[in-house]
Amino acid sequence: MIRNTLVALALGTVAAQAEPPQVVATFSIIGDMATQVGGARIALDVLVGPDADSHVYEPRPRDAMAVARADVVLTNGLEFEGFVDRLIAASGTDAAIITLSDSAEVLEDPAGGHYHYIGDEAIWHAGAHDPHTWQSVPNARAYVAAIADAFCEADAEGCEGYHANAASYTQDLDELDAQIRASVDALPSSRRTVVVAHNAFRYFEEEYGIRFLSPQGISTEAEASAADVAGLIREIRDTDARAIFAENISDTRLLDRIAAETGMALSGTLYSDALSGPDGPATDYLSMMRHNADTITSALAAD
Amino acid sequence: MFRTLAGASTLALLMAGAAVAQDSHDHDHDHAHDQAHDGDVTLYRLFIGDHEAGRVTAIDLTDPEKRWSFETTGQTKLFPVAGGAVVAAVQSDDDAVHFFDSGISFEDHGDHADIEVTDPEAIEATLTGPRPFHLVSHDGKIAINYDRGGYAEVLDAAALARGEIAPQRFPQERAHHGFVAPMGRNWLSTVASDEEVAGDASVPRLGLQSFDAKGNATGDLATCTGIHGEAFSGAYLVAGCKEGVLTATAKGDGVEFEMLEYSDGLPQDVTTGTILGSNAIQMFLGNHGPDGLVVIDPVDEPHFTRIALPFRRVDFALDPVKPANAFVLTEDGSLHRINMMSAEIEQSARVTEPYSMDGHWNDARPRIAMAGDEVVVTDPNAGLVRRIGTADLSEIGMIEVEGTPYNIAVAGGSGVVH
Repeated sequence: MIRNTLVALALGTVAAQAEPPQVVATFSIIGDMATQVGGARIALDVLVGPDADSHVYEPRPRDAMAVARADVVLTNGLEFEGFVDRLIAASGTDAAIITLSDSAEVLEDPAGGHYHYIGDEAIWHAGAHDPHTWQSVPNARAYVAAIADAFCEADAEGCEGYHANAASYTQDLDELDAQIRASVDALPSSRRTVVVAHNAFRYFEEEYGIRFLSPQGISTEAEASAADVAGLIREIRDTDARAIFAENISDTRLLDRIAAETGMALSGTLYSDALSGPDGPATDYLSMMRHNADTITSALAAD
Repeated sequence: MFRTLAGASTLALLMAGAAVAQDSHDHDHDHAHDQAHDGDVTLYRLFIGDHEAGRVTAIDLTDPEKRWSFETTGQTKLFPVAGGAVVAAVQSDDDAVHFFDSGISFEDHGDHADIEVTDPEAIEATLTGPRPFHLVSHDGKIAINYDRGGYAEVLDAAALARGEIAPQRFPQERAHHGFVAPMGRNWLSTVASDEEVAGDASVPRLGLQSFDAKGNATGDLATCTGIHGEAFSGAYLVAGCKEGVLTATAKGDGVEFEMLEYSDGLPQDVTTGTILGSNAIQMFLGNHGPDGLVVIDPVDEPHFTRIALPFRRVDFALDPVKPANAFVLTEDGSLHRINMMSAEIEQSARVTEPYSMDGHWNDARPRIAMAGDEVVVTDPNAGLVRRIGTADLSEIGMIEVEGTPYNIAVAGGSGVVH
């Protein structure tokens, strides 16, 4: 309620402003956060929309034009949006490029890095980091603060409103964080392991204590091998994993196969890298995280 | 058909004599060694096919005294493949395809790429077959269509980069001037009509169809009358047709086709037959008649945005460094920088004498290619490659090339030497 009032106040200042800040958010989740902070004072373009996969998205000419006219471009970073560097280069934009994961607590890619060899010399190249930082609500709080700062830099007159919106939204995030912790804490400690299609929930795992098994790596671009799948099925049995979930951005065929071989049924759909469409259960970040937590804990609590 | 040349020495002939050749070879390694201490290395190497002679000349852009010459069977059309590690020389009139190790290779490490530089070399193994023409390089595969053979040969790009050539044959129902390309789990091939044609008349082309690797159909024919010209960008392959531009994209286990019909606002009775795909944005640039280009957006409308040229087009290229930019050379000798986002000519400058588009399509006329922040332009009548800056279209320099420089390909880029 407070937040809505602040957004309305921000609306009231639009008339006095020459042009709203042009903001581009690379995908739907940070697009929602930008809306919560910027309200109607900003003009927002979201490149990768609901239920779409940023890992494999191919930017279109209209995306380049949106970035070209932007004042602020909000990206996640950590190579989540494989297209973003070339898109920015193509656009020729002079917008402020804000990499939101710079403000987050970041986990290493479980695959680590790799050596390569020049003659007899082994050279270490550090591995990628897990980009799905928003699956931890504390990281979302950091994103919101960074967005407010970026909007203030681009639009000093609106700064007070941006910070007020961010503060209000942060309270909502605090409530969400507490709800997720409480719902997971209510589960027996033996019921904390689930299966998902791609490894997008490690931040949720670290923050809230649910263990996620997956046949695919952190990017949907990488296909699971037969050995990956066989190993996963063994691990499911060894760990007594209790539920298997589809993802809104991933093909379910592999999961169907795993479910059939382990005797589990799919227990619902989780939203990992994108919000749902308007008729879905995850139209914004808060509802997405609540839906995921409810779906996971309900499945694990069931007999 | 697959054969091995008698020896590399029959191909590699240094132009400036043995002494210089030895100096050049040693100097190159010294140079690379020196650069290793510097860390960052930028090197572009031009491969230039002669219009008359069976010869390809390789020249380092910023150090043109470093040059190598390779004999081929005949006139070549040159394609950088395998990430620029190899340059393919398709000799349509001489039924041969040669390959050159460019001497420049990269290993991607996410935040940077390592570069390795050696002298270019001819790869001993070559391909032969009846009229090789369109070469498609995509998704780690290289497919060469034999227009009079009724088949394509498919190479693995990574193996080719190691000098290994083991072509897999993709059969077609009827020989025709077409192409074969990988698309997800399928292969796409142009399909020709079975109607009788007289003499050397070209076989009518009906459209595009998906097949498995053995040439068995896996989908229905998508009509694309007179299909010609193909390019990939993002998730799409597009090809020019009489009706418009056909798009193809992998969907599930199959291929989804859509015909983008030319809109009423475009000049009628002209089509697109040569298309280039952007490496950054999912869009294409094609010709549209002799004096127009068209930006093609395969997803969003308007699908076509036409750019009228002041004269007929000689050649055009996309800028991989600044992907909004494309360059087109017109027959008056002017090079134009095009902004594909706005579909406007931003700047023009005269860079060669006029080369009329009247006459045979394969007459010696300039060809252009991109080399970092330069456009390199062959000038056959002047025996030169002209180096033109992309920023202001000014001439940075000229490189003399023996004979009649014609087709051109560029390998190279920037990387790190550890």
